[in-house]
Amino acid sequence: MSIDFEKQTQVAAETPRKKRRKVGIGHYAVNGWLIFWAIFSVIPMLWLILAPSKTDRQVTYKNPLSFASFHGYVQAWKNLQSFNSGVLAHWALNSITYTAAIVVFASVTASLAGFVISASRIRFKKAFLISTLIMMLVPPVALVIPLFIEMNRVNLVDNPLSVILISSLYPFGAFLSYIYYSNTIPPEIYESARLDGCSDFGLYTKIAFPLSHPLLALLAFFAFVGNWGNYFMPYIMLPSPEHYTLPVGLGALFFSTPAINPGNGATSVPILKPEIALAGILVAVPVMIVFLISQKRLIRGMLAGSIKE
Amino acid sequence: MSKGRVHKPKNLLMILMLSPYLLLLFFFGVLPLIMAIFNVPSKSPSNPNGGWHVFKIVLKDFRLVPAMWHVLGFMALFVPLMILFVVAMSLMLDVNSAPWKKWVRLAYIVPACVSGSVAVLLWYVLLEPTLSPFKAVMKWFGIKQATQIWQTSNLTYILVFMAFFALAGQWILIQFGSLQSISTEVLEAARVDGCTQFQLATKIKLPLIRKYVIYMGVLVFAGGLQIFVEPQLLNSSVYHGIAQQWSFDQLSYSLAFDNGNFGEASALSLMLLVPSLIGALLVIFKTDMFEDVNFKSPKKLAKEAKKREVAAA
Repeated sequence: MSIDFEKQTQVAAETPRKKRRKVGIGHYAVNGWLIFWAIFSVIPMLWLILAPSKTDRQVTYKNPLSFASFHGYVQAWKNLQSFNSGVLAHWALNSITYTAAIVVFASVTASLAGFVISASRIRFKKAFLISTLIMMLVPPVALVIPLFIEMNRVNLVDNPLSVILISSLYPFGAFLSYIYYSNTIPPEIYESARLDGCSDFGLYTKIAFPLSHPLLALLAFFAFVGNWGNYFMPYIMLPSPEHYTLPVGLGALFFSTPAINPGNGATSVPILKPEIALAGILVAVPVMIVFLISQKRLIRGMLAGSIKE
Repeated sequence: MSKGRVHKPKNLLMILMLSPYLLLLFFFGVLPLIMAIFNVPSKSPSNPNGGWHVFKIVLKDFRLVPAMWHVLGFMALFVPLMILFVVAMSLMLDVNSAPWKKWVRLAYIVPACVSGSVAVLLWYVLLEPTLSPFKAVMKWFGIKQATQIWQTSNLTYILVFMAFFALAGQWILIQFGSLQSISTEVLEAARVDGCTQFQLATKIKLPLIRKYVIYMGVLVFAGGLQIFVEPQLLNSSVYHGIAQQWSFDQLSYSLAFDNGNFGEASALSLMLLVPSLIGALLVIFKTDMFEDVNFKSPKKLAKEAKKREVAAA
């Protein structure tokens, strides 16, 4: 037996080495392709980050991936600030307010829902889970026209509350919470706490919530990433410029300035390519930072607990 | 009776805690659908007497067939390209665990930060020969003017690349994550049996991550069917008229907000919802993606527990 085992381990140790020799060129080709795609993935973002360092003329004539000066960012920011009496800062504030409200409201409601379904014996668990999964898999865009009709009926169109409420429905978060609570807290703990006189609300505040920090971080992460750059919902629900978010405002800059389309005519302040790129950075970079910090969370979350850790 | 009295207030608290989510689910998931259904037969310029035959009117709309061909063409390229590329890339990443691959994975996630209006801005730049970081490559292909690329006939390919570039990276990482869940014993046993890397990928790893690939396929399909932001922004802001009512959602938007015809817009939205719903139900009930989800009612669970107890006794 011991000889067999030794042979096996020898084979196991040698096999990858032999294979590596055999597929040497293929191995380098694969690695080369992986690196090529990584570089290709980063180049557009690199352009976006470097463009505001240049003047509009330099953006066209200098090397697209070159850096000009930090003064370029300051100038582009000043120009953006003076566009329509500083409306960009207002859009940024709108984005921050709406997203913060959605992140808090969506995470709390989803976490509570997941807890109740995992800890209680309520009857409509099956219907709840199926409807949540359906909502999770149907793209939100599919419901936009019906939602507009509904919001119009209750006079919430052009009211930020419409976007906050609609986006706070977080079926993916509820499902994630259900999986998390089911996997981390055994039902026996709830039962013994109940016997000790703990109320159902106490089960959440004293047992589930203190164990929920990783879950809440995950919920907040997905809610932020999904809503910070959301274009369609605010575009439909909030037609007044004072309610725009940064992504919708960026779209408005496209058609109200000559930055991308010279046919749009000049504006009183120079809103050209560096300024547009800086506005793009304001939309993309917060998401990029969050993504880079939490890429493992993205993977675990998207697979919604179906991978056992 | 006494048991019932004890349980009722407990469940009441639970239902109270569940109610914020349930209210959101009802008001923004179920009610809009009901309202859209009721809205379909309402009177409109194209349907002056009202009635359910508005579905026929939508199907006969001269803009529907071109939109359908555009979206079908887009999906025919986008969905297989995404699935094949993502699976191949994640398998390549999983071949061995060199430390530099961590940085490669970080780079793949970067395009996912670019969506909607920023994506349109970046693709305008990437495909503009005077601005593009790839201007040398474009020159090599003889492309000197943006008009050589930005044409309605090329729009399907451009939108496929835009959507593919934005989504591929994050799905590569997700499928790579699913590959990490395969037990090392299984892989080691296959290696001992003489499996090459290619056989390991195609005969062991791929079948084991099948359900995640199907999950991705359904989400990519449902999302692709509802393409709106990119063609709408390109059409309204960058190259006017290049993508007029190009996709189903743009047509639905135009019916509602340009023509004020919410009956037809609702009918089209409901028709588009059907494939997404079928996809969702297929994933839930016909794959083992959510096999760990316990759909059984407390009564059934109690019955099963009793049966097990009896069998054990």
